[in-house]
Amino acid sequence: MIVLNQVSKVFNKGRQNEFVSLREISIMIPRQQVTVLKGPSGSGKTTLLSIIGGMSRPTSGRVTLDGRETTSLPERFLAALRRETFGFIFQQFNLINGISILENVMLPAVPNGERHATLKGRALELLAMFGLEARAATRVELLSGGEMQRVAIARALINNPRVIIADEPTAHLDSKLSGELITIMERLKQEGRTIIMASHDPLVCNAGVVDNLVEIRDGEIRDSAPAQ
Amino acid sequence: MANIEKQRAIIDFTLASLMRRKGKNAALLVVYTLVVAALASVMFLTKSIRSEAAAVLVDAPELVVQRMVAGRHEMIPLSYVEKIASIRGVKSVRGRLWGYYYDPVFGSNYTLLVPQESPPEEGKVAVGQGVARSALAEVDNIMPFRTNQGALFTLTVARVLPAGTELVSSDLVLLSAGDFKTLFGIPDGMATDLVAEVSNLSEIPTIAAKIARLLPDTRPIARDEILRTYDAIFNWRSGILLAILSGALLAFFIFAWDKATGLSAEERREIGILKAIGWDVGDVLMMKLWEGAALSLTAFVTGVILAWLHVFAGGAALFVPVLKGWSVLYPAFRLTPSIDLMQLAVLFFLTVIPYTVATIVPCWRAATAAPDSVMRG
Repeated sequence: MIVLNQVSKVFNKGRQNEFVSLREISIMIPRQQVTVLKGPSGSGKTTLLSIIGGMSRPTSGRVTLDGRETTSLPERFLAALRRETFGFIFQQFNLINGISILENVMLPAVPNGERHATLKGRALELLAMFGLEARAATRVELLSGGEMQRVAIARALINNPRVIIADEPTAHLDSKLSGELITIMERLKQEGRTIIMASHDPLVCNAGVVDNLVEIRDGEIRDSAPAQ
Repeated sequence: MANIEKQRAIIDFTLASLMRRKGKNAALLVVYTLVVAALASVMFLTKSIRSEAAAVLVDAPELVVQRMVAGRHEMIPLSYVEKIASIRGVKSVRGRLWGYYYDPVFGSNYTLLVPQESPPEEGKVAVGQGVARSALAEVDNIMPFRTNQGALFTLTVARVLPAGTELVSSDLVLLSAGDFKTLFGIPDGMATDLVAEVSNLSEIPTIAAKIARLLPDTRPIARDEILRTYDAIFNWRSGILLAILSGALLAFFIFAWDKATGLSAEERREIGILKAIGWDVGDVLMMKLWEGAALSLTAFVTGVILAWLHVFAGGAALFVPVLKGWSVLYPAFRLTPSIDLMQLAVLFFLTVIPYTVATIVPCWRAATAAPDSVMRG
């Protein structure tokens, strides 16, 4: 379970352009469920996801993961946490251009020091799961939007994370591909993973796979309830 | 083991990264390699020329005594031999006959020498490979000379000196004392200079001082002095060349610094992605370290190989006009490879290390920033 306790985030604190992105957010995100952070652009969803995923630290407040506080971890441990516990799917996919699909998928596992052949085998298995095995050697910039999305998901899964964090995962997808994404999320949920998504896409928010809906506006939680 | 695999994976990614920016990295590699090649060429050339000079002098006499008249080198009377031999510590003294001869027919300069041991018979010469080539002389051919009076004087080639001694014998013509004197019109009882052997090498300065006192019109020259002069000359010449090259070196440093310290937006984004997906600062820095090392080591090794080929296979065509030209060195000879590891180490620390460090600094700044910027696209 992930617990956020009075989490606030202020950018450029003390300067003229100070901006409060999150105000004393307290929520509990249950394990092995799908939680969607819903809200308009600029509401603080992405900031909240990055704090949960250990990519940035809150200005105040605490985050715990299965009872272990993560907000005060040194950078090195935070990096290990990001690598081992979380799998990230970014809005812009954030694949690295110029290298192959396979190399992109293997990247998060590089610091683990796993045997190259084993790692490559696991990456190919993941690509096979998403129907991309035949294109493993293709450079990512040559892929369609849907293929990029699947590569990004495969990359998020390479370290077999317990938690998947997806930021506006359908923002660049048409309805058909968005439907495919939700199917994949269902599969990941069945595998016992916790899924946290930020989205304002009704296709995601109203999907049957969603267990909890947290509505955020102006950096505050407006409503938190089990999905209908 | 895990660490080796990790380093291997980081190197794989680094090399793939370098290949992505082929044009930029190739340009840098070419400039970097040329700079290393130029500097290494000067080092190789200077070192090997100095070694050649030292090799030429290794059999040189310990002490040479020349007679000076009005500050110029003159023939020396053989009567000086006994006077010098009477100085304590002098083992032996003998006169030498040698000189230079310009052959206007072939446009070549020869060194004429009367060897102390088994000189050719009267009317015969032994010639070096260079002389044989330039004068198209073979055994039993006649070589024409002009005496100091302008008369034709012919000598027969008795033998051609072996190729193995070419460095020291390329332009050499060995002849008898009688023929030498006839050719140059030297009276009996005179020699070009005197050479002395001493019993104890540490006494050379003392003996030289005694000779200068005893025979004020002479100039004693110790072998070590000649070596020091050559060293100074070649150091000075290589210094001039390095000063000229330092402009190129500076331009390269500015270029490399700009390349190494300025991260493009794309590179910043990639560092952000790597951090977001679980690389820590150390992993990112290691990647950049490998990148800098791969590039600069490639440039260093390629540059050194190019310099080697330039100097020892190509005769240092680019720098020889500046660095050579000392009269002790013969007009055409192939340099013997001679490398000073210390100099190479200095070149390594002046190129590879600064470049590698320069690539890490900006990356460190980017890598220590929070990775959440990638979340915002």
